Amino acid sequence: MSENNIVKSNGTLITIDGKKTRGRLEAGETGAAFYKKGSAEPLLQWHYTRLHRMDNIRRGGTSSQITVILKDDSRYIFDLDQGLKVYSQMDKNWADKPVVRKTRGDELHRLAELRGEKIQVKKHLITRRHPNRSIAGDIGIYLMLLLVGIAMIFPLVFLVGSALKPLDELFRFPPPVWPQHPTLDNFSDLFVTMGQSWVPFSRYLVNTVFITLIGTFGHLVIASMAAFVLAKYEFPGGRTFFAIVTTCLMFSGYVTGIPNYLIMSRLGMIDTYWALVLPAFAAPIGLFLMKQFMEGLPTALIEAATIDGASQFRIFWSIVMPNVKPAWLTMIIFSVQSLWNTSASTVIYSEARKTLVYALQQIQAGGIARTGQVAAANVIIVAVPILIFILSQSRILETMASSGIKD
Amino acid sequence: MQQTSSFTSRFIRMKKDQFEHGWTLAKRNKTCYLFLAPYAILFFIFFILPIGTSIYYSFTYYNILEPARFIGLQNYINLVLQDEVFLTAIKNTFIIAVITGPVGYILSFLFAWFINELPKWLRAVAVVIFYAPSIAGAAFTVFSIIFRGDAYGWFNSLLLEFGLIEAPRLWLTDPNYMMTILIIVILWMSMGTGFLSFVAGFQGIDKSMYEAGYVDGVRNRWQELYHITLPSMKPMLLFGAVMSITSAFNVCDVPRALCGYPSTDYAARTVVTHLFDYGFSRFEMGYASAIATLLFLVMILCKKAISSLLGRVGT
Repeated sequence: MSENNIVKSNGTLITIDGKKTRGRLEAGETGAAFYKKGSAEPLLQWHYTRLHRMDNIRRGGTSSQITVILKDDSRYIFDLDQGLKVYSQMDKNWADKPVVRKTRGDELHRLAELRGEKIQVKKHLITRRHPNRSIAGDIGIYLMLLLVGIAMIFPLVFLVGSALKPLDELFRFPPPVWPQHPTLDNFSDLFVTMGQSWVPFSRYLVNTVFITLIGTFGHLVIASMAAFVLAKYEFPGGRTFFAIVTTCLMFSGYVTGIPNYLIMSRLGMIDTYWALVLPAFAAPIGLFLMKQFMEGLPTALIEAATIDGASQFRIFWSIVMPNVKPAWLTMIIFSVQSLWNTSASTVIYSEARKTLVYALQQIQAGGIARTGQVAAANVIIVAVPILIFILSQSRILETMASSGIKD
Repeated sequence: MQQTSSFTSRFIRMKKDQFEHGWTLAKRNKTCYLFLAPYAILFFIFFILPIGTSIYYSFTYYNILEPARFIGLQNYINLVLQDEVFLTAIKNTFIIAVITGPVGYILSFLFAWFINELPKWLRAVAVVIFYAPSIAGAAFTVFSIIFRGDAYGWFNSLLLEFGLIEAPRLWLTDPNYMMTILIIVILWMSMGTGFLSFVAGFQGIDKSMYEAGYVDGVRNRWQELYHITLPSMKPMLLFGAVMSITSAFNVCDVPRALCGYPSTDYAARTVVTHLFDYGFSRFEMGYASAIATLLFLVMILCKKAISSLLGRVGT
């Protein structure tokens, strides 16, 4: 029956024998419990294994391996990522402590009770979602968020508006933010201009897509491999290496442009795709995020596999990698963002190898008459990373939760 | 005497033991090095070697065509004493870094905090709105339309309509306005990776800590921020700081695209555009390397200062 028990990671839905039940998932110190809507008795209880802390269940992502105790007292280890798939049956004597929801407040009450006192608490305030919030402050914050949010989005709206403006509206006084007669002329003009260029436009697009794909894939594999051993094994030099990578998080972009150029020319990589792809493989941010995220994986998973005789590569490929999917996605997105936006004007000379952003910068150099086309081109470029981010926001935030630098 | 020698020998033995222990550990984890190797090699070539290279070339005259010639500290002396444009660049970078770095950082943190109070669906929308500018790549070029120097520029027309100015102003070519516009644009783009890390950090804070804080006498959101939130966010704060330093010192694309390259009177020149000018336009690689070396140094010092500053937060 347990194969059918699925708790969505937001903890609101559970399926028992194909029947869906709504309720809430509560996390406490020793485990978690699922309460049916309107019921105080837990329907199901989960105990964290010794290695898991309560934040694991809240993150709902990796390191979400939990022990589930069903009503008939059978115990299973589940993995939330796998949709509560059964891993193995547990020894029945283990984890007998009941699931208790305990906060520090509860603890204080308990201690006071032992002393024979009673702490006076304004009950309604403590049960409010945000106990320390004044209404005036809330309103102020909402107002500020609204104003600044409008200011933040205005340039992007203006950009899209400009891309849709017909020529007469582009040069109208006063200039409208949003066109009265939206048109796609600018986009078709853009493709006409592109069609006249010396190298076909599709070539730029193919270049960028090629660089982005290869660079991201290589980065994912190479950086994950390094992150895996840095996060899960203790070996001489590992910590030092990671500390250096953390420092080098700062040295991205233009600061290393000149010496990188010198090194690449020495290696004969100037004017080849390698000049863009290889540095992307070694981007520190990807390794950093992946390592921090992998640290949250239970060591027991790896130890168990080692005892079973799995090779290190097997552990990496079939145990660790499937468990860090959110971090993959984050790595992919950061890598795609930087590669997609690269203009590569300093290391690529051949027109046929230039990137999309470079080509669009050339159009921009066409001056004021091309304002509409430039806006259209920008919309095309900008849309890709923003769309990817919108689609994968929750996964990225999950990864970023472990992004801190511990000193 | 004997005492000292026994100390020394003990010390040597200890070091030897340590080394042997490390060696066996390393041998046992051979495959770890195999896993690390591909990344480590590339990382060395593209991130460590450049630092060494720029330090080396900063002491030479090197124009790519001729072999590098050692000239000692001449590059640094020229930079500080002779190169007036560099001084402008330093001044501009300093202004931009001091304003956009801390302000961008604090704003990222504050807005991540405010956004965290929103209901879930609204929070997702707000995160996209605030984060989008920083991933929008070249979208900032839209500011060249907004701040265009003629009356068709949106900002000019707005001011003209309200009668605040008589004639359109050249926002992007007049040295008096350039820096202000640059700072606005850079601030607009400053809600980057650090901001995302903050948003995630806020969501990860154990809610029961707030309840406990309430019992312990925390009475408003600012006390809560200082006593509970900030201490639990320290790692993210440091990460955000590193990201802020990177973006504050890496200002290059924005002034180049908006104010021209070179800009009027070099008024929008930054250290990185200066570096670009010498490296990729004049091919004075030695001189450019000296600039890069100074930048490395300043960035590392900044990070050190910030991490020691953050060490005191909430205590």
